[in-house]
Amino acid sequence: MASLKRWLAVGLTACFVLALAYLPPRGAESSGKSPFVGQPLWGTPARQHAQALADEWRKVDAAVRLLEDRQRVTRDSLRASPTIVFRGATLPPKDVHNVETVMDSVWRDLGLGETKVRVTLVIELQRPYSSDTPTPLQDRVAYLAPDSTHRTTCLAYLPAGPYWTLFILGKRHEGFGRFAQWLEAGLGPCAFYAAYGTPGRSVESWLVARHWDVGLYLGSHGIAGERFSSLDLLGNPSSSWYYWDGVYSFPPATVACLAGRPSGCRAAVLAGAAEERTIPIPNVVLVERRWWRVQNLLPGERYLGDVARAVGRERFLNFWTTALSVDTALAGTLKRPVGEWTAEWQRGFVHPIRLGPTPPLGGVAIALAIAVLAVVLVSVTASRRQVR
Amino acid sequence: MRTATTVLLAIAAMPAPLLGQRWEQQVQGRLARAIDVLPTSSRLPVVKRSGMLNTDEGASFQTTLVQRVSYVIIAVCDDDCSRLQLTLLSPSGSDIAKERNSESLPTLRFTSDTTTGYGIRIVMEGCRWNPCWYAVAVVPLGRNSP
Repeated sequence: MASLKRWLAVGLTACFVLALAYLPPRGAESSGKSPFVGQPLWGTPARQHAQALADEWRKVDAAVRLLEDRQRVTRDSLRASPTIVFRGATLPPKDVHNVETVMDSVWRDLGLGETKVRVTLVIELQRPYSSDTPTPLQDRVAYLAPDSTHRTTCLAYLPAGPYWTLFILGKRHEGFGRFAQWLEAGLGPCAFYAAYGTPGRSVESWLVARHWDVGLYLGSHGIAGERFSSLDLLGNPSSSWYYWDGVYSFPPATVACLAGRPSGCRAAVLAGAAEERTIPIPNVVLVERRWWRVQNLLPGERYLGDVARAVGRERFLNFWTTALSVDTALAGTLKRPVGEWTAEWQRGFVHPIRLGPTPPLGGVAIALAIAVLAVVLVSVTASRRQVR
Repeated sequence: MRTATTVLLAIAAMPAPLLGQRWEQQVQGRLARAIDVLPTSSRLPVVKRSGMLNTDEGASFQTTLVQRVSYVIIAVCDDDCSRLQLTLLSPSGSDIAKERNSESLPTLRFTSDTTTGYGIRIVMEGCRWNPCWYAVAVVPLGRNSP
């Protein structure tokens, strides 16, 4: 009897521990998923509401700051490369000059000189957090595209974070090459505006609809290194479940394109192109924190840059300013169906993944052996059974 | 040797052309040349407007045309522009004349019956590198005899 009580206590304690692990805390909402799946803590409704409000405020605050900066910034009319403005600290002229020199070199590497649309880069240096005022947007890159009131200015807002703040302030000296890559990647859609001007209505509407995920990087290297692209952030296909978890978090067309299917690639490229939408004013492009997890195409950030390099400036400009639909214009520019060209382009970065069940050979052999054994055993038993 | 040095110094001292004004200077130069070849004899001023537009965008402005004065309205655009449309509008806003066949140099001729305000509309129909700069001039040629 004592033994039974002990087991009962152990069982109840185990149930309690499991409940603690799987049930959300009191007042918090369930994510609505199966109770057998571990759930993250979602916070109380009041906390969620406060966080949503704070997020909205940060977005609006970022848009207002971009508009204010556009009004305030006086451009250096003797510099062809972007005007650079620092916020958060006053830099000595030597440090400003160092950053400008790197930017000039990046600008030349991109093949840019004097451009119709000029770029202003606002670098936000990391500030200490204050508990008195809400924290402004310090971890998301944002862009203010040219519009009818400022047709020739594209503004890029680039939070430096702690690492690059120290580098710019001269307190950290390693990582010079990566600093140039960081600046180049930070130009984002503004680099396209500078290189090819303001896109035509259909192309701009398509890019706005998909948050510029196919035009985030104009450079020919990887976004964060020689060959580093958003695909590398998924991990290694042979090593971990993390990779497949990441792959299947993308829309079906994106996954189909990763498998090398032209129809999937076509759908992934033309997502957002079907309906022409109104271009917002101000046209603020706010890049997601984990932008590589919400792409429709991998590595989408360099897609348009690669298209431009493949077809040449003149043909790309025809596409960029087209009055036709994106589908027709892009196929005409590539001189091939969009899906076929894109599938081939993607094969240059990743081996097509295999979709569907792929059981290992050993597992199949063992399962078949067990099945055959079971059938044989049943057959033998049945043959020996005698009915009297 | 001294002369060469002086010339070099003079060139170095010249202000560098300001960036971003290349296309604007281009259209202003074109407009000035176009006005120069017109036989203007009127004392009335030449009205000029300039700006920039993306493909399929338009801009318009009002100007007063004097009775019985013959005018030439001329528009020019930068090297990246392939087609510019120029329209003269009546005070009520309806089209009086439209020129869209001259690609990047549309021209209209008009003599007004009365002194009144007219509208002039410019539409950028083709620009391969947006935005494209344009400039318009309303040039009075001279008074017609009644």
